[in-house]
Amino acid sequence: MDTPYPTTATLPDWLDPTPWLEQSHTAADVRHALGTESPNEETLAALLSPAAAEFLEPMAARAQALTRRHFGRTVQLYVPLYLSSWCSGGCAYCGFASDRQTERHALDYTSVAKELDAIKAMGFEEVLLLTGERCPKADVDYLRDCVRIAAQKFHNVAIEVFPMAEEEYRILAEAGATSVTMYQETYHPETYDLMHRWGPKKDMLNRLEAPARALSGGLRFAGLGALLGLSDPQYDMLALYRHARHLQKTYWQAGLTISFPRIRNEVGGFDAPYPVDEKMLAQIIFAFRICLPDVPLVLSTREGAAFRDGMAGLGISKMSIASKTTVGGYGDAGSEEGQFDVSDARGLHEFCDMLRSKDLEPVFKNWDSTYR
Amino acid sequence: MLKLGNIEFNSHLILGTGKFSDTETMIRAIEASGTELVTVALRRFNQDKPDDDLCAPLAQLKNVKLMPNTSGAMNAKEAVRAAQLGRELSGSPFVKVEIHPNPHHLMPDPIETYAAAKELAADGFIVLPYIPADPVLAKRLEDAGCAAVMPLGAAIGSGGGLSTADMIKLIIRDSNIPVIVDAGLRAPSEAARAMEMGCDACLVNSAIAAAKDPAGMAKAFAMGVETGRTARNAGLMPKSDIAIATSPLTSFLG
Ligand code: SF4
Repeated sequence: MDTPYPTTATLPDWLDPTPWLEQSHTAADVRHALGTESPNEETLAALLSPAAAEFLEPMAARAQALTRRHFGRTVQLYVPLYLSSWCSGGCAYCGFASDRQTERHALDYTSVAKELDAIKAMGFEEVLLLTGERCPKADVDYLRDCVRIAAQKFHNVAIEVFPMAEEEYRILAEAGATSVTMYQETYHPETYDLMHRWGPKKDMLNRLEAPARALSGGLRFAGLGALLGLSDPQYDMLALYRHARHLQKTYWQAGLTISFPRIRNEVGGFDAPYPVDEKMLAQIIFAFRICLPDVPLVLSTREGAAFRDGMAGLGISKMSIASKTTVGGYGDAGSEEGQFDVSDARGLHEFCDMLRSKDLEPVFKNWDSTYR
Repeated sequence: MLKLGNIEFNSHLILGTGKFSDTETMIRAIEASGTELVTVALRRFNQDKPDDDLCAPLAQLKNVKLMPNTSGAMNAKEAVRAAQLGRELSGSPFVKVEIHPNPHHLMPDPIETYAAAKELAADGFIVLPYIPADPVLAKRLEDAGCAAVMPLGAAIGSGGGLSTADMIKLIIRDSNIPVIVDAGLRAPSEAARAMEMGCDACLVNSAIAAAKDPAGMAKAFAMGVETGRTARNAGLMPKSDIAIATSPLTSFLG
């Protein structure tokens, strides 16, 4: 299919990770990186290297110490609400892609309110609203109205939706959205082009610059991430780190979070070309905690219970739980198929008990709507 | 290479020119330091009385640029006026914004400094503000168009060294413009430490001017700055040993 959207062959210089990928690393480099006082790209490259796989335990110890220093013994909780499964995108790895034969839903405003009430009744104070790519059933006006409904009920309203213009972000910020999540999926231009088969998402730079536009448009927090499994994880994670550092230096008042979504070949129908196993995922998370000690790191219910229990407080400081990846699903409304399979299906209480048993305090409210 | 505005310097040491016993000693110290940028207070410009004037002898030094400073100004308004006069007299695009209203401890006034720096940057100056070691103020000044920030290591003339090291590290971490430690340094080893931490340059005055042999101390500071910079580029060995927990943290990974 022909596309009117530009494709990109190269990354901008401030993002390009290749200079750090050309070096190979020894055990001595990893030890050096583990003890450094001023982490940088070299530190991350060493900690992501195969040589560092032998250092998982000391990396975990450092990650735990840094997590405690910056976040104490707390884990922040949030929950996602999928508003719509309509999508104009053609992402090869997604259950909502426009070529999939699945029934499409978008919650009407009454259902949105009901779903949010059900979530609120569970005890959450932060909700993440999701849609697919821009389409008539879920456009900026629809989102603005959904954000307004959510902002009446929740202190923190986050959105994980299509890239927008700065003005559109401003509209959502004024409606009460505080955070934007925008995963680049992959920073590798050729892979990006391959995976995003059609639709507006083909425009890689547009997506790349969306977090900056959101922060200019008045959102206070930006969540970054790459979908692990699509491309060489070292490439993607180094570019992700550079992206975060760039935003930290430019939008110095903004809060960042980083998530580590992973395609799991054992669940869902898409085979990841660069599968990432649990050990490598743990190594990546430890490396990020060491290199960005004060940035909240997020783990969703894509991961299984044992892994999540192990990682809570060990680098990870923010988690979702009791999540549905179907449209709705908390109240009466609900679709059959989700965007991805939930691997940790525990309820909120069970999860909080687990956290407390590890001497970790679940935190529901970490923001106040007064600041909006 | 140290880049301030569009101008590049090989030396990463900047000298202050006050407090020397005489002009001759000052000139010898500057030459021994290899510096290419010196700061001079507008209040030490005196065209009417050449014996008392620092500007003319400094202007004769080859390879050394002048940076007038606003020391003596009590507020932003006075500093802006001083800067404009300094530019007129010296022809230099640089200005060091220095506003310390308390004559005893000489701590910079962040509010007036910000206001003056913003106005002068908009007026086309290459602005280097002298500031408390405050990471938020540093980013504000970067946004306002400053060419560098100059956090203090300790109070002016205190010889307190790098007592603000932790704050300076935070400034360096997120700064897109050079970070220059200004004030407080007593020994060349402290200048080396500042450069090892990642500072882009050091500004030294009292420690050199008040030494028994100012030219000798100027040379020592030049070496200290170079040593620290070379070490930074060579990559320092980390401090901490790798900790191994008694009960494994990663057993859940199988
Ligand atoms: S990942 Fe997002 S944009 Fe791509 S098909 Fe799925 S819902 Fe649409």
